[in-house]
Amino acid sequence: MAKEKIVAPPKKKKVRAFDVINYIIFVIIGLMIIIPMWKVLVDSLNRYGVYQFRLWPHDPTLEGYLTIIKTSRLIRPFFISLITTILGTFFGLLLSTLGGYVLIQFDMPGRNVFAYYLLFTMIFSGGMIPEYLVMKQLGLVGTWWILVVKHGINVYNLVLMRNFFEGVPASLYEAARIDGCSPMGIFFRIVLPLSKAALASIGLMFAVSIWNDYSTVQIYINKSENVNFQYKLRTMIMDGDTPVTQYNVSQTTLFNAGIIAAILPFMLLYPFLQKYFVKGVNIGAVKE
Amino acid sequence: MSKKEIRFTSTGDPVRQKPLSLRIWQNRGFYFMFLPVFAFVLIMYYWPMLGIRFSFFEYKASGRGAMTWVGLQHFQTMFLNPIKAPAFWTAFKNTIELSVVKLLITTFASVIVSIFLNEMQNIHAKKALQTVIYLPHFMSWAVVASIFSLFLSPSSTGLVNGILQSTGVLKHGEYVYFLASSVWWKPIYYLINIWKETGWGTIIFLATLSGINPELYEAADIDGASRGQKIWYVTVPALANTIITVLILNLAKVMNLFESVFVLYNTAVYDVSDVISTYIYRQTFATMNPDYGFSTAVGLFKSLVGCVLVLVCNWASKKTRGRGII
Amino acid sequence: MKKKVLSVVLASAMALSLAACANTTTDNGAATDNGTSTTETTNTTDNTAAAEEEEAYQLSTLRMVVDGTLTANEDNRQDAFEEQWEKAVSEKMGYAVDLVIDQQDHSGYKDAVGRILLGGDLPDVMIMSADMYKQYQTTGLLWNMADAYENAEFQSRMDMPLINQNMKTADGALYGFAPYYGNGCVTYVKQSWADAVGIDLSTIKTYDDYINLLTAFATGDPDGNGVDGDTYGVIAAGFGKMDEAPYINYMSEFYQGAYPAILQDENGVWYDGFQTQEMKDALLRMQDAYNKKLIDPETLTASTKIAREKFFSNDQTGSSGAFTYWAGTWYQTLTDNLIKNEVDTDLVMLAPIKETVDTWGGYLNREAPVWVILDDGDGNDARENAIFKAFIETMLDGGTVQTLWTYGAEDVHWSTKAEEFVLNAGTDKEKAYSYAEGEFHLKQAPNDPNSLWKKNLIDPALVVAHLNDDTPAAAAKGTDLATQGNKFFTANCVDAPAGASCQTLTDYAADIADAKNAVIASVVTQNGDVDAAMEGYKTAVGAIIDQALAELNAQ
Repeated sequence: MAKEKIVAPPKKKKVRAFDVINYIIFVIIGLMIIIPMWKVLVDSLNRYGVYQFRLWPHDPTLEGYLTIIKTSRLIRPFFISLITTILGTFFGLLLSTLGGYVLIQFDMPGRNVFAYYLLFTMIFSGGMIPEYLVMKQLGLVGTWWILVVKHGINVYNLVLMRNFFEGVPASLYEAARIDGCSPMGIFFRIVLPLSKAALASIGLMFAVSIWNDYSTVQIYINKSENVNFQYKLRTMIMDGDTPVTQYNVSQTTLFNAGIIAAILPFMLLYPFLQKYFVKGVNIGAVKE
Repeated sequence: MSKKEIRFTSTGDPVRQKPLSLRIWQNRGFYFMFLPVFAFVLIMYYWPMLGIRFSFFEYKASGRGAMTWVGLQHFQTMFLNPIKAPAFWTAFKNTIELSVVKLLITTFASVIVSIFLNEMQNIHAKKALQTVIYLPHFMSWAVVASIFSLFLSPSSTGLVNGILQSTGVLKHGEYVYFLASSVWWKPIYYLINIWKETGWGTIIFLATLSGINPELYEAADIDGASRGQKIWYVTVPALANTIITVLILNLAKVMNLFESVFVLYNTAVYDVSDVISTYIYRQTFATMNPDYGFSTAVGLFKSLVGCVLVLVCNWASKKTRGRGII
Repeated sequence: MKKKVLSVVLASAMALSLAACANTTTDNGAATDNGTSTTETTNTTDNTAAAEEEEAYQLSTLRMVVDGTLTANEDNRQDAFEEQWEKAVSEKMGYAVDLVIDQQDHSGYKDAVGRILLGGDLPDVMIMSADMYKQYQTTGLLWNMADAYENAEFQSRMDMPLINQNMKTADGALYGFAPYYGNGCVTYVKQSWADAVGIDLSTIKTYDDYINLLTAFATGDPDGNGVDGDTYGVIAAGFGKMDEAPYINYMSEFYQGAYPAILQDENGVWYDGFQTQEMKDALLRMQDAYNKKLIDPETLTASTKIAREKFFSNDQTGSSGAFTYWAGTWYQTLTDNLIKNEVDTDLVMLAPIKETVDTWGGYLNREAPVWVILDDGDGNDARENAIFKAFIETMLDGGTVQTLWTYGAEDVHWSTKAEEFVLNAGTDKEKAYSYAEGEFHLKQAPNDPNSLWKKNLIDPALVVAHLNDDTPAAAAKGTDLATQGNKFFTANCVDAPAGASCQTLTDYAADIADAKNAVIASVVTQNGDVDAAMEGYKTAVGAIIDQALAELNAQ
């Protein structure tokens, strides 16, 4: 940050004009992002649906959220989202750390074959139908396990993990090896503890993509009791799939409460974890 | 993955060529660790590749698993059949157009925003803004589509139409049905993409900018450069390489377009919004007794085009920055 | 470079060989798996003489795929329905049957069925709309139940035999069973809106009258919020759902005599109703009304639930005065919602306009949704017959099981025990109910104690075979409005034309529907030229339509 102080020249009149414009631009950009979210939040607390923008809810109610909690067909998908995200992230981190670690063993015979074995999957795939049929044969179609398994193995994240491991000073590995540590021992005692930041960053990437997944559910999960929250939300809003006549709250309120519930987990976590999110992007692109 | 990596150990010493069997034995722990990865990749990626053979068969639910060899007939249908081919080509054209335009404009927007962010003097304001503009990235496409469908609703009281009416852009009682209009769908799609991904896209550019040597700015100051000149002659050139990297990395993914379109399109705008993946989806699931062979063939075409794109981008990447993307 | 190529080749060879192994083993696994849903018993001690072969089959599980029409869903104690069904059916069959309910979201039902069928995972029974049924009929996936139907026990109580008789194909095959007739849509108008614009609804007789009414709604201030023109005349779920017969029923006033599908003329010759002058006129009528803001623009993409919610939403800005929707029970439900949202207390059903009466004869009664049995293709009907007996025959048994399908589970959805309860206690909508012992009545809805349970899958007013008089539920009376609605519809309806069914149509159904939707979107909402749009339709699918017509007329 000290750097920026050096960069900043002493203020002159002209500079101030630039800064004012700069602030104005960013206030506008910020508002463009905040206003839609704010509207959703306010509408989720309005008792009746309105289309206009309101700064504060009229006749505020938590009934929208209560309906989600009380309705098994809405709260169940929420828990499915939660459990698939946790399991999938854990599973994904396990496989990508294992794979990433093996890929930096440069004196291991066959390492290159393994690397190409993984990379080939990034350029070619069987396509939607063959993948569906394989999942079907594995008995995963219609179950929420498909979300865990499909996201769990992600070659792109594995390569990111490898890139990060490459940055760990090799002398540490050597020292441990000389001390008689097994590969597993080095992995658990040296590599993982040194990679907490990478685990957090890549773990978050897994978590976001699993929590936000809609299309996997749309394609693979044909049992309504196993869909996740994103899917439920989308069918509810776009197709109106709620038995509205039996709720005490307007459909619009329920929709907006659903949207808030869908983004809440990451909105809550995000301010604390922002640096890990950012780091994830940077090891991905800069250090490729 | 260059050759040099094979010949040197991670410490940089040249590998003394021990007998292969010994080296394999010494690394047995690593093979064991790779096993689960190997198995999962095999099942999740390679096994489905065997399904490519369906492209050459007639394969329907009503056949109860029976497949009839039809050779290249599905490809002929896809490219030439007067009923199927036009929709296929439309989808192909849309895939390329939507992906490429989206990529160019979101990258452009990210560059602009990061340059301005970089010029921001107040650290707290900068942090706060970064926090805000990264937010939409964490919303799923399902959520984003839901929010914008509610806002862009054509009712005289839909938020956007309401604003347009009250500000006099539209006459009272007039409205634009943005998401169901062939004219508006694409611009709206790009706008939503800008809204969602611009902020996130700035991360990588900001990282590059923070790496610029401050002496360059000092030198410019000494030369009496204005703020605008410094941006133009110092900041922008520093970003050029990163911009190319981002474009190349993403160009390789253009065929993958699915979810963002799927959640936003509707029957009224297939002509401008249908992409290969949504086309495959409809040909498979929204069709009675579909021929899975045909959908697989379309999928194979998509994979092949995607494959070529990745290889081209890889080549381009090697040319421009000395290393491949894969 | 050589090394690289070698590595890739090695890696893929390794992968392929291993994948091949995995493939064969799981193939076997899947094959054995198919046999588990039914178990063959060698024990044929049962001595009912009729069909020994059939008795050899005992279903252990019965998997049904159903859409949202089974209102006893997960939130509404589906478990109780399932349990009571299993108990009753197991008793009837003499062995335990496990019912597996696979309920899909209503709106994506067609896609969901597509996904279920991909990979050959066939359920035992499935509900299908008439349109889906017409297309699956030609695929060989459905079991011909003509014989089982003829010999079914419920024939003795059959009130409307023609509903199912008419579904038979030319050669006498019957691939689906409709437990209730189709029902159709009538146009509802908010009384308070009509009062606000000063129009007497009994004077709406012709298309012009109707358009005048819509214009008054759209340009005036029927919702009384002080703003003119922030309302619409009518909303519907689509300008005609091109994949759901009878297509025109949500917009019948505009379609009049047009019909956007293949149908038969008086000589039995099939022709494409979409490529007719009537259809062009209908499109132009809709275009005109759309341009004049009489039709809510969201009609283009709205699902039925979105349209419904907008109609009775508490905030009436942007709502519509007229809404063409299902008759009968929905008359009650729509009115209930208008009252609940404090919009209106009275909903009026409009009689079909003159133009509709002159062409069709009235509102269209759609072809009924049907239950189908999936044929396992082993050439042996034993399993399918057992499914028919256990599932379809019991559905209209006139007693316990029919009551389950009609009203839901005993003591959960309905009861004959003495009971008192109050809905909306403490509000001005409070209503108290009290029932004596032995009096059949519907209970509070499980997921909303403030509303009364209405029905389960079968609408009692539409069922093709009545309940036995000794069944408690036979004493049930529909609510006033539902009964009134059904009477009104029956008095004003004609049967929708029979849909076409042939191989070509099945293969290209999605493409044809896309082409039709493109025409509707371009003409109605984008002010496109109707002749140009029709030319586009002909270029896109004309050849296929001709082929289908040739096939149909050769049948």
